[in-house]
Amino acid sequence: MSLRRVGVLLGKELLQGPKNFIFIWAVVAPIVISLAVSLVFGNLFTDKPTLGVMDEGDSRLVTMAADLTSVVTKEYDTVAGLRDAVQRGAVDMGIVLPDGFDDSILQGEDVRISAYTWGESLAKERAILRATVLDLARQLSGREATVQIESTSLGDETSIPWDDRVLPLVVLMAVFLGGLFLPAISVINEKEKKTLEALVTTPTTIEEVFVAKGVVGFGLGLFTGIVILVLNQAFSAEPLLLVLVMALGTVMASEIGVVSGALIKDTTTLFAMWKFGGILLFAPAFVYLFPQIPEWVAKVFPTYYLIQPVVEISQQGGGWPEIATSVLVLIGLDLAMLGVAAAVVSRARAYGISS
Amino acid sequence: MNLRVVAALVWKDFCLFFRNRFFAAVSALGIVVYLAIYFAMPGSVDETLEVGLYAPVVPPVVEQLQEEGVELKKVASEEALKQAVADGRYVAGVVLPPDIMDKLATGEQARIDLYFAPDAPQEIKGGVEVLVTELAYLQAGEQAAVELSEEIVGMDMAGMQIPPRDRLRPLFAVFLIIFETFALANLISEEAERRTIHALLVTPMRMRELFLAKGITGTSLAFAQAVLFMAIVGGMSREPLVVLVALLLGAVLATGVGFLIASVARDMMSVMAWGVVVFIVLMIPCFSIVLPGTLSHWVEVIPSYYLVDTVHRAAGFGSSWGSLWSNLAILLGYEAVIVCTGILALRRRFR
Repeated sequence: MSLRRVGVLLGKELLQGPKNFIFIWAVVAPIVISLAVSLVFGNLFTDKPTLGVMDEGDSRLVTMAADLTSVVTKEYDTVAGLRDAVQRGAVDMGIVLPDGFDDSILQGEDVRISAYTWGESLAKERAILRATVLDLARQLSGREATVQIESTSLGDETSIPWDDRVLPLVVLMAVFLGGLFLPAISVINEKEKKTLEALVTTPTTIEEVFVAKGVVGFGLGLFTGIVILVLNQAFSAEPLLLVLVMALGTVMASEIGVVSGALIKDTTTLFAMWKFGGILLFAPAFVYLFPQIPEWVAKVFPTYYLIQPVVEISQQGGGWPEIATSVLVLIGLDLAMLGVAAAVVSRARAYGISS
Repeated sequence: MNLRVVAALVWKDFCLFFRNRFFAAVSALGIVVYLAIYFAMPGSVDETLEVGLYAPVVPPVVEQLQEEGVELKKVASEEALKQAVADGRYVAGVVLPPDIMDKLATGEQARIDLYFAPDAPQEIKGGVEVLVTELAYLQAGEQAAVELSEEIVGMDMAGMQIPPRDRLRPLFAVFLIIFETFALANLISEEAERRTIHALLVTPMRMRELFLAKGITGTSLAFAQAVLFMAIVGGMSREPLVVLVALLLGAVLATGVGFLIASVARDMMSVMAWGVVVFIVLMIPCFSIVLPGTLSHWVEVIPSYYLVDTVHRAAGFGSSWGSLWSNLAILLGYEAVIVCTGILALRRRFR
């Protein structure tokens, strides 16, 4: 294998790559997906009730509600706007505070508040919102509470925000879109356009072509993966360890990409395989999304050994002792996949590239 | 119109589509995976807060609270309560002191201990604290000066909420339909790329037969997958005819979009480039179902909104023709425009 020829091929890939839609897609898609998925999963499973307030006067209750951490508060300028928000489900309950509300409360007068409740809001959310509005009104009146509440959290564990749970999925997408998809599609494109056969009639060997394409995929996958970690504020702890783990994971992605490129005949089949196989690659991420799924399920999938160290370092403050086993398994998987890739590439050389 | 020609063309396209057995198998497995995701997601909605209560003396107002989305379960001891909360059987535990009734009666401040599961989110902690405080006020006979005059907006779903996975049902079905846009656009662009279209056009086949055949192929591929998925996940149990018609119109819409993409795409890569843009736009309305309230009324400009909304309302709420006919009519109007534009654009390309 000539490193100089690999370098020339690499230069060609880097020069031509950005003109290819897939190259752009592999960089842009994870970032867009990161934002979209965070939005979807960050909101879909949250139980935080939303209170809409339309204040006809200048009540302090609006500020007090906005300061609460247990309720999301949104302000509206008109009753129609508030009602529309309730109708669309933007808020679970909307209240209209009449002009002079605070004065009435301070003077001990009874006040009637119009409240609109979204039909699809949960009973517990309605209960919490009703109690919250009444509690805020009591606080506004300056009356001393009848009880003193002492809250205790049992154990040291903390709840995992959905944004954190989604991170493994987005990281895997970033690594595998660039690392796997790019080399695979690049090889398949060359096969479809018959340029691969032309290339190997020169002194360039098929191994050199595949290595160059794998390296481009590796570089892009690693770059996008790290960008995603930075965007999600998950790159501050142990950056060197994170880079090592991401690099090992991207090597696996590139190896699978090269093998896929060698075995798959056309782009349509690659997309079909991605449609199904992609889910298998991302399966461990679903275990992090839904912690009620036993962790052993995730361990069946090779990508677990990439994602476990990333989560351990970035979210749980872990270090080498906590990730050593996974990293060693990941290295083993990389070596095994390297063997498979070597066998597949040599088969491609022996039986004809397009077979 | 020669129907035999159309049938032959459809048969040819299906053969091309499924010639690759791996591709056929993987397409089927794709549906299996979506089904697996669906069934892995929570199938019910936890509408109430289950809170453990240890109270030597149970205040009468506790029964009132149980009707308002909070279920208080009595526990024999404080230790048992802590264990139950730590095990996740209750989101919170409330310990009332033995003298609470006396203190509330005399106006003396009573202390109430709350225990939370280690992973309890802030909204649960804050919510339970507020509920318990309000409970104490009520027990003390201190009625709030504020009276809430409540109006339920929309259908009141209390007690019959749609589980998260069923909320995602229209998204999966629409995803399956719109994804077939790529397949159809690729089938057509391949005909142009390989110049087989010119070979076809020198036969007795007419252009309208070609479009009808491609339309039938694209529509049936998209429709069959979506119907199969919806049937398995129980999406046909309510208003099946409305759901079927909506999915059929959705499949025709995907076909029209496929024609449009094929009219500008030169090869598989450009099908993907255009397809992804169109795909993202058409999927936006799904967010209005998955995340109610995140999108405002502008989303109604996108044709797939009427497909998603119809499937969601029919399958989720049992809405019938009476309330959905306008959605279906708008969808039909949109796709008439899109399909006709697609055919015209393709005609220009093939000429």
